[in-house]
Amino acid sequence: MENTGQDIILSIKNVCKSFPGVKALDQVSLEVRRGTVHGIVGENGAGKSTLMKILSGVYQKDSGTIIFDGEDIKSTTPIQSMKRGLSIIYQELNLVNTMSVGENIFLGRFGEMGGMRGVHAKAKELLKSIGSNIDTYKLVSELSVSEKQMVEIAKALSFDSKLIIMDEPSSSLTADEMKELVKIIHHLKDQGISIIYISHKLDEIFEFCSMVTVMRDGHVIDTKPITEITRAEMIAKMVGRPIENEYPERPDCVGETLMEVRSINTKKLHNISFKLRKGEILGFVGLVGAGRTEIVRAIFGADKVKGHEILIDGKPVKIKNPRDAKKAGIALVPEDRKLQGLVLPFTVESNISMANLDKITRFGFLDSSAERGMAEKHVKALGIKTPSVKTKVRSLSGGNQQKCIVGRWMETNPRILILDEPTRGIDVGAKYEIYLLMKKIAESGGSIILISSELPEVLNMSNRVLTICDGRITGEFDPKTASADQIMEKALEFGRKDLEHERAN
Amino acid sequence: MAERIWNMKEQINFKNVIQTVFRDYLVLAAIALLVIITSIVEPKFLTTGNMTNIMRQFGPLIMVALGMTFVIIGGFIDLSVSGILSLVAVVTISLIEPLGQVGALIVGICLGTFCGYLNSVLILASGAMKQAEALFITYGMSTVYGALALIYSGGRTKQMSLVKANTSIYKTIGTGTVGILSVSFIMFLVCLLLLYIFQNKTYMGRTIYLTGGNKTAAELAGIHIRRSITLIYTISGLMTALGAIVLFSRVTAASPVIGKGYETNAILAVVVGGTTLIGGNGSVLRTVLGTTLVILLSNCLNLLGVSVYMQYMMKGAILVLAIWLDSRKQL
Repeated sequence: MENTGQDIILSIKNVCKSFPGVKALDQVSLEVRRGTVHGIVGENGAGKSTLMKILSGVYQKDSGTIIFDGEDIKSTTPIQSMKRGLSIIYQELNLVNTMSVGENIFLGRFGEMGGMRGVHAKAKELLKSIGSNIDTYKLVSELSVSEKQMVEIAKALSFDSKLIIMDEPSSSLTADEMKELVKIIHHLKDQGISIIYISHKLDEIFEFCSMVTVMRDGHVIDTKPITEITRAEMIAKMVGRPIENEYPERPDCVGETLMEVRSINTKKLHNISFKLRKGEILGFVGLVGAGRTEIVRAIFGADKVKGHEILIDGKPVKIKNPRDAKKAGIALVPEDRKLQGLVLPFTVESNISMANLDKITRFGFLDSSAERGMAEKHVKALGIKTPSVKTKVRSLSGGNQQKCIVGRWMETNPRILILDEPTRGIDVGAKYEIYLLMKKIAESGGSIILISSELPEVLNMSNRVLTICDGRITGEFDPKTASADQIMEKALEFGRKDLEHERAN
Repeated sequence: MAERIWNMKEQINFKNVIQTVFRDYLVLAAIALLVIITSIVEPKFLTTGNMTNIMRQFGPLIMVALGMTFVIIGGFIDLSVSGILSLVAVVTISLIEPLGQVGALIVGICLGTFCGYLNSVLILASGAMKQAEALFITYGMSTVYGALALIYSGGRTKQMSLVKANTSIYKTIGTGTVGILSVSFIMFLVCLLLLYIFQNKTYMGRTIYLTGGNKTAAELAGIHIRRSITLIYTISGLMTALGAIVLFSRVTAASPVIGKGYETNAILAVVVGGTTLIGGNGSVLRTVLGTTLVILLSNCLNLLGVSVYMQYMMKGAILVLAIWLDSRKQL
């Protein structure tokens, strides 16, 4: 160990951290080599983010030692860590939307940079060094997610970071944006900067990490060079049991047309028309912001849209708001479960019952035992891991929270279930359970619209795929025969034309 | 990321338990402390006269505060209660002569309810879905209702006309007793019971909590959140009208600025009781504790001879303290 001391940028030994009632980290040891990309994988609740928060100084460790760049770090604060050269880029980016790019990069350090002119000049330089030419005077609110991430990286670099921690950076990036990020990661690595890369997406870990650490239940299970571990081994270590398939067999029971959507037109959407058949899983593929979510929100009555027609069983239905949609047998599991799906401070029970209050109401009064029964039925049926139905939903893990929303809608007996990014930020095991559930619904005659940024998920689960680009449906594919490249090409079509158009000008 | 939330939440849950208990007892402890100290320092405090006095002061404020509780649980706020209170008081009192006791009572209650409903219509029409926006709209409406009260009364205090009949509803509400309880206190108990059942057992009560908990999620789950918003302001208007009637019955007169200060006192009572301003939680029972503390505090300070100006300052400090505790809880 001693002779390799120079090569190790970060050494964590026997770090423990407890929260009341949980041991979040138990004897965690980890070493990160200088100038490498070190992947950390693990299910939700494995302790990855707790560890990172200890490193960045948001939490303090209970015991153990942390040596960063040869310095024993006893206790630290986020600012001190940043000044030492350890930056963390959180999944939910911490930028001030109403300020410019340059101001964000040097937030609170305008004086040191020699006023605003210096700030923007230096910011431009930093962005250039990672191959980005974002206008530093642009407001952060006008940037795309990937551009925001670049700003975060530039900010990290502005502190002369030696180690940058990226916490699930790719969860809201599209494939193209991801390529940009990979480029930047390689670039940083070449400059001798180490990166800790936390992700649920194993493909990424295999693509550019040289070492990988698997965590589970607050323990480090294994640390291995990426060349010495297979994908299946990695998953087995993460979940503590072997998982044979990532996806269940595709259901195959497509019947006649159940719903027909005719010409949705809004500022963003152009002439959206499609049919959904009974027992079908219809996948929507497109970039974030292509209009996928807007289409389903329009169908569900969540956004005010006029002039379109929706036919269910050949009969036109009027859907002006989510209540009408519910009556028509449509259910929506929204994109952002914390902001749009759940009432976080409420119990599992009331989160499940909230779309079904009419069922448990007699003469305006709620029947609390019926409510409890309803919740317990779904907790059991979906295998929601919760101490009781009276537990607050915010204390559940991501996958279990998602299941609560699914349970809420299963109770309404929906004929059409719309799932918008149903597996975002949930772990491998829970994902598989969601897939199984989709299969079950399709096989019992329900129809599903699946929106997902993870192409393999859509390709493996759907019976039919529609590509959406710039508010238009640009293609229709059978995922069994079409290749991922063909589909992505269609999904990017309009974007590319626009780019060419811009270049021509 | 998710495990971070998991861990944090575990911590919060634990903290929550302690803090909820701590704070509930804190209000009770504060009440007890106040009673003990004042009764030692000023023996007048424990006399029957003073107790009746406290019960009567309690009457109007608790009515307004109970209504306010629902507005705050629903994630909004209502500053218009002072205006509504003044308007209902001067209108009702002046109508006793021409319309008779019952007629005036009905008109007064309907007027308050309508004012509350009008608030919700304006809020929904302007698309104000944030507490801060509702705050300014209801502040504006408070000025409007207050001005209407001034115009209607010509700026003069209206005396309650001495009703010829021996039995007067207003006299009963103002000074009547049943056993040791004042009539206004019994009115409060009835309202509390009804509102408590409404809050905990009914469909509409639940939708108010869900609206306050997460408007977007509630709407996407098919909850009629616009109806919840209409409901909370209408309840607030209704309860304020009842508060107005209890108040002018006690003082047998109504000035067009009689409601001044009721909005801050009601919000103070709700928040001190432990209903959080962020919405989605709280209870009318907590408001009873909060109101008790607010009333006792001013009564004790009066008895101890603390100046009114000093009392304002203390009330302000308590509101800040309550909100500080409130935000600590949400960390």
